[in-house]
Amino acid sequence: MLYRRRELDLPHGELQTPVLFPVRNIGKRSSDNTPSYVTTIPDFSAAMINARSIRNRKPMWNRLMNGVSLREELDVPENTIVFADSGGFDFVSEELDTTPADTLETQHQLKADIYGTVDIPITRENRTTVNQRRINQNIQFALEASDHHDCDAHLLASVHGYDPETIRNNIRYLEKHGTFDGYALGSLVPIRTDYKKVTKLVIAARQATDKHLHVYGLGGLVYQPLLLYLGVDSFDSSAFIRSAGNRNYLIPGFGGEELQNIEDMDMLPCPCPVCGQRKLDDIREDRNALTQHNLWALATELRRFRYIVESGRDVEHYLDLRFQGNEVTQRAYKIAKQQVRGLA
Amino acid sequence: MSDGFTITDEQRDYSQYNLEANPFPYSPVPAENPEIFCGQQHVTTSISSTVSSVLSTGKSKHLVITGKYGNGKSHTLKYTRSLLRDREDVVVGYVAQPGEGFLDIYHEFVYDIGFNRLQNVAYEYLASITREVTDVNPTGPEAMRSLIDEGDVLLSEIVPEAIRQLSNITKFADFARAIIHMVYEDTNLYAWQWLTAEGIRYEQRKEMEIHSALDDDTMGVRAFTALKNTLLALGYTGVFVFVDEFESIARLSPKNEQGTLNSIRHLMDQNSSGLCMLFGCAPEVWQDVMSEYHAFSERIGREVALRPLTSEHLYELVNEYLDRERTGNTSDDTVQPFTEGSLDHILQRSQGNIRQVLSICSRILDSAVDEKQSHITADFTRELLIL
Ligand SMILES: [Zn+2]
Repeated sequence: MLYRRRELDLPHGELQTPVLFPVRNIGKRSSDNTPSYVTTIPDFSAAMINARSIRNRKPMWNRLMNGVSLREELDVPENTIVFADSGGFDFVSEELDTTPADTLETQHQLKADIYGTVDIPITRENRTTVNQRRINQNIQFALEASDHHDCDAHLLASVHGYDPETIRNNIRYLEKHGTFDGYALGSLVPIRTDYKKVTKLVIAARQATDKHLHVYGLGGLVYQPLLLYLGVDSFDSSAFIRSAGNRNYLIPGFGGEELQNIEDMDMLPCPCPVCGQRKLDDIREDRNALTQHNLWALATELRRFRYIVESGRDVEHYLDLRFQGNEVTQRAYKIAKQQVRGLA
Repeated sequence: MSDGFTITDEQRDYSQYNLEANPFPYSPVPAENPEIFCGQQHVTTSISSTVSSVLSTGKSKHLVITGKYGNGKSHTLKYTRSLLRDREDVVVGYVAQPGEGFLDIYHEFVYDIGFNRLQNVAYEYLASITREVTDVNPTGPEAMRSLIDEGDVLLSEIVPEAIRQLSNITKFADFARAIIHMVYEDTNLYAWQWLTAEGIRYEQRKEMEIHSALDDDTMGVRAFTALKNTLLALGYTGVFVFVDEFESIARLSPKNEQGTLNSIRHLMDQNSSGLCMLFGCAPEVWQDVMSEYHAFSERIGREVALRPLTSEHLYELVNEYLDRERTGNTSDDTVQPFTEGSLDHILQRSQGNIRQVLSICSRILDSAVDEKQSHITADFTRELLIL
């Protein structure tokens, strides 16, 4: 098992890892904002924001430039840890409209604790030459960011690639040619159903560096235990928001359940502060409540994993049981287990 | 059945003949890397001259070695291969038989070169690009591999340039991509399968951005030429292809036979430099090829025939084998414990067929030990061969 615990010393406080950064949609026009969770769920005193969308949302940006802090705008305590990614995922469909220096400046102005370097995602649909070019460009962006970075915030280089050599090569190259506090693996969302591939890439990254390793976008209920097992230090997820939007109710150990399938139930199978006292009928209509519950579900998943480790139980045995229900994830876990054992 | 097998692990003792062991191969199959060449001077001369000419001038040259079954064609080809293999500036591939057509020859050739060698070619190519576009100077495949692993060079900087230049050299972009994909652990098996013409699924090709299928003789010729040009670009002097049992093309349909010969002809035409093909072929089939497929046979510069062994050759051969296991000092040029009479008899029985000679010698030597003979006489040999 590659699972590990660390502590990050960041401008707004210390952060215990492994940790999930729930995605805050602040600044995004298209989607609803994330309901408050920071004070209600103690596990999540951190948030992932998109520096680019905030920068591009003029009224908000003006407020931020006129003395309102980002954390006020988010309605969270000042000691909340904020990870500002570059918004690179939007560049799948949009033109690149920033530079490493500009993005760094924005991240600095937002007083984020962790900066992700500018990146342009790759996809399997691209021609490999296009992906190669982007992979190379992302490395250059990261090195430029490293050149300009001069504050206490942690800088994570965004790394992309669909084969272990590229991941290993990129991380070690960046390690030699720049200064980074860690690395963040991107472009995994488009291939998330290829568990074998994702597992290999994560292991390659984990082996290439001992520094902080973040995985972009795969912090959902299924991936979370897998990533913990693979020694990933942090991940982010917006799945809890999207699921809630689809009236999808996350249940640790089971995955998502469409609420319409369990309409006749009186109370939901969860004792969290949201579901414990309220009836299904009530929660169904309350999207914020659903979102909050879904976050509780993610927190539960994380706590259970820690519990298994701390109580000295056999993690692999726990994961055997945990993934038993679903053939696809079971196979994924088996592959991960084989690869992790192969490292021994 | 008391007179059945006697099975024992007791080793025979050959020391009475000043031998460590029985030097003759038990199995009549030619060894993979024969150490002894039963030289027929005129054959050695022809092969040497063909091979040396390719090595010294870089111009292509080809040769047919004819000989009846058992006269040592495979032995000759394998022996030549084992000599060439020690050179670092050539690539040698042995094709046991031509199969159904040129694609099979190509497949066998690449297989004989092997996965590791081909992967090294890919690393060597990346090394050459690295020397060109960066200020790092990797000198071989291992050095290149470690530069990539350690992040001293950036794959995404080198790979696109490597593919671009290799596509230029080979005029075959798919081939260039397949070669470069030999360095990625996730795709190198697919790349290998494509390069050996085993065929891969469309999705696997797509992952490497390979558009064509390598599935007919024309593509085989193209891929072979591309591989050879890659090697020449890397500074190799030549590529050697040894095609054994060439006579088996006679069992193909006339159309397929002609197709195979045409493909080889195209290959030779497209590779006027750096290519050396040696064929082992039964004389009667080569006769037919010469008379019926003139365009093919005229491109093969020379033919040399392996003849049955003469008694002089036979002494020499037996002597060389015995020398491998000699313990004490024996005077040179001796075939002890064989007597000249016994060897004459063996020659007669084997009709000069080397394969048979070796297996008879092996058998007789063992029997002589078992029956505590001080010498292997003609009589002893005669008796044994009658049995
Ligand atoms: Zn709940």
